[in-house]
Amino acid sequence: MSTELAEINNFIRSIPPFNELTDEKIVQLSQKITISYLRQDKKIHADTAILYFIRTGALTHVNEANELQGKYGEGDICSLFCCQNNEQNIPLVCAAEDCLLYAITCEQLTTVLIDYPKALEFILQRGSKRLKNKMVQVNEEAILSSSLMNTALSHFYKSPVACIKAYKSIQDAALKMTQQGYSCLLVIEKNTNENGQPIGIVTDKDIRQRCVAQGLSFNTEIREIMTHNMISIDCNNSAYDALIMMTSQHIHHLPVTKNGRLVGMITVTDLMNQEGLNAVNFASIIRKANSVAELSKISEMLPKLQIRMAKLGSTADHVGKTISAITMAFTIRLIKMAEDKLGQAPVVYAWLAAGSQARQEQFAHSDQDNALIIANDMLPEHEQWFNSFAHFVCDGLAACGFIYCPGNVMATNKKWRQPLSVWQHYFEQWVSVPEPKALMNASIFFDLNTIYGDTTLLQQVRNKMLATTKDNTLFLAHLSKNALQHKPPLGFFRDFVLTQNGNNEASLDLKHNGIAPIVDLARIYALAEGVNAVNTIERIKQVAGTPSLTQTSADSLIDAFEFLGLLRSSHQAKQLQAEKEPDNYLHPKEISRLEREHLKDAFKVIKTLQKARQVVY
Amino acid sequence: MGILEHWLGYNAKRQRLYNKAPTGALKDFLAVPFPQPSTPFAQVPILAVDFETTGLNAVDDKLLSVGYVALQNRQIQLAQSYHQVINTGQKLKTDNVLIHRITDNLQAQGHPLEVVVEQLLKALTGKVMLVHFARIERHFLQQACLELYGLAPIFPIIDTLALAKKRLDMQDVAYDPSELRLANLRKKYQLPNHLAHNALNDAIATAELLLAQISYIPTENLQLKTLLC
Repeated sequence: MSTELAEINNFIRSIPPFNELTDEKIVQLSQKITISYLRQDKKIHADTAILYFIRTGALTHVNEANELQGKYGEGDICSLFCCQNNEQNIPLVCAAEDCLLYAITCEQLTTVLIDYPKALEFILQRGSKRLKNKMVQVNEEAILSSSLMNTALSHFYKSPVACIKAYKSIQDAALKMTQQGYSCLLVIEKNTNENGQPIGIVTDKDIRQRCVAQGLSFNTEIREIMTHNMISIDCNNSAYDALIMMTSQHIHHLPVTKNGRLVGMITVTDLMNQEGLNAVNFASIIRKANSVAELSKISEMLPKLQIRMAKLGSTADHVGKTISAITMAFTIRLIKMAEDKLGQAPVVYAWLAAGSQARQEQFAHSDQDNALIIANDMLPEHEQWFNSFAHFVCDGLAACGFIYCPGNVMATNKKWRQPLSVWQHYFEQWVSVPEPKALMNASIFFDLNTIYGDTTLLQQVRNKMLATTKDNTLFLAHLSKNALQHKPPLGFFRDFVLTQNGNNEASLDLKHNGIAPIVDLARIYALAEGVNAVNTIERIKQVAGTPSLTQTSADSLIDAFEFLGLLRSSHQAKQLQAEKEPDNYLHPKEISRLEREHLKDAFKVIKTLQKARQVVY
Repeated sequence: MGILEHWLGYNAKRQRLYNKAPTGALKDFLAVPFPQPSTPFAQVPILAVDFETTGLNAVDDKLLSVGYVALQNRQIQLAQSYHQVINTGQKLKTDNVLIHRITDNLQAQGHPLEVVVEQLLKALTGKVMLVHFARIERHFLQQACLELYGLAPIFPIIDTLALAKKRLDMQDVAYDPSELRLANLRKKYQLPNHLAHNALNDAIATAELLLAQISYIPTENLQLKTLLC
């Protein structure tokens, strides 16, 4: 049985997850296939659980209301008939074109793929579960491919290590930790000096768990609560080895040795910070810049940082937070320069970021969205100062590559540079007399964050706002109506994006048809539940388990958000690298078949939750 | 069963041949009745068959490889597929090798004709044979049986070429005979390209073509006899 069914074997091998199978398995599979021909407009009738491969032609899947659910073309697999335990839910699938179909029963598939549980899961699992697996894998890869792999531990550990004699009291230990800012101490015998071999380790967690929680007197000797038999790592290992050792042992502190002698200590935090080190460096050179021209020069590195992070496999959350933090550093530096130039502000104020920067989801080359809340004791003559101030900062941001907001949501716009009382009034209007159009323009202001100045100003606005939005059915209904206008597509058909109304489009708008709908949903949930958070993932996490969103849906929504973000981040990294203006338009040819499957799963999650929202209001 | 069919039908001929056949593979094959001509298509057990040969003359040329796949209930069952090269004991002609890609080396590893024909007869028992261009397979298999068992049996055959030809003839429009080639007919039904001149691939390709062809015939009352050649 060598080349006999070669064409069929090659066809199957080209389709994920079958591309992971050995030749022998492929041969076993193809021998179990039955081939059938389905005329256009004929329905599939399957009386057992079956997986279909579309060899030629096209299939259409509709629901009971005859609404299009998906289309399948050559080289797609259709797993709709794989889980047929539910009698009422027999999928309605018919041929859109004459089809040549390869079929294998799930029973046989399970037998052949017994050693490939992952491939089997991929086929038989529900979309949301499949997406979850993908994201787990992505996050693991983000760790694996991080620079930790290539960095020696010797760059990280801190030396010398803080030690304490074993006979000292727990309180002594706590005092020493507090004074020196350590979260752990090595314990040494009474008569050894500071370089002697430690006999144990004690962490702040030990004090919490083994002393305070147990009601143990804090005069007890430290040796009573220390961990004996501590493990250590040689400094010739990579930073990654240390991370793995700590992760597998569930510890956060690891003594480092050199030639068997203790030389230092490494913590999980030290390692994790490495990844953010670039951002920290960035922020520190921004702080040292003395002119807008200097800042502008520094800002040219921002796209490079985004490319690097994307290449390292950082999650979009990580990239967004880093870029947002750097934008914040630019803004603060510009504010300081403005104050140097214009003199101190006449009254207290807060410089706000709105939209993606406020949500910490900003990417390089985003536009600037900002606003000013000024204290209520502002006088008319102060207006001139704030006007000049706003122009200085916004012009400076523009010079650093953050283009002016096309919708004029900027502090230079007098409408968005107002005293606290006016802002309170704005929100009152938006919430109590909601008009769809006005709300659509205002939705950006439901994602606000203080960048600089008096944080209580925004907090006052927000507290009052959240008190009125919570359980405000009419307001939430209007907001939902707006939000549901961005609909994710159904999936892909051949090399096109298949929209919900059955059209084929050349590219996928990742922002409007994927990311924005999730951002909108998260905002609605947060406002409905009175949640303070602004970051989308944070919002979803906080509303999980409330009447607005179940824990399971929350998990799926985060997976979908992260997957879409990842695609956007790598798509933009490619464009930035080619020195093109980054955009959100993803062509189906850019991504693998597997990624298309995951995208389809992500769309399904969004669609389900949008539908649930539609039902609520 | 009508009285005419009782005397003249292929099962009647089969019975007569059975009585004459020597004990062995051929007699076993002839012992089992073929499906009645009135059998609804979906219930007819079919075996799509293709041969590669050293030439077109059944008497002088040799069977070189045999491929088949079962078709029933409108489904092609790859689990019941077979492909075997036959060792003809003759050196192959180069221009011929270029077509079927069976080299002398491959041939040397092949099975004897008798073994392969026995396997084929066993698989064909009680079934209707499906081929594209019936003449080659019918003649070569009859010739092989004549050599091996001294008797040429009968096979009810569905011929995709004949079905296509009948359709074109009914349209009363001139056509190029090349339209009737397997690859060209498949193209007409938007079936994918296939690796031609491999006996199993051609057998599968023929079975797929038949499924496409009959999908254009109102099938509720489609009986075997409408398709037989």
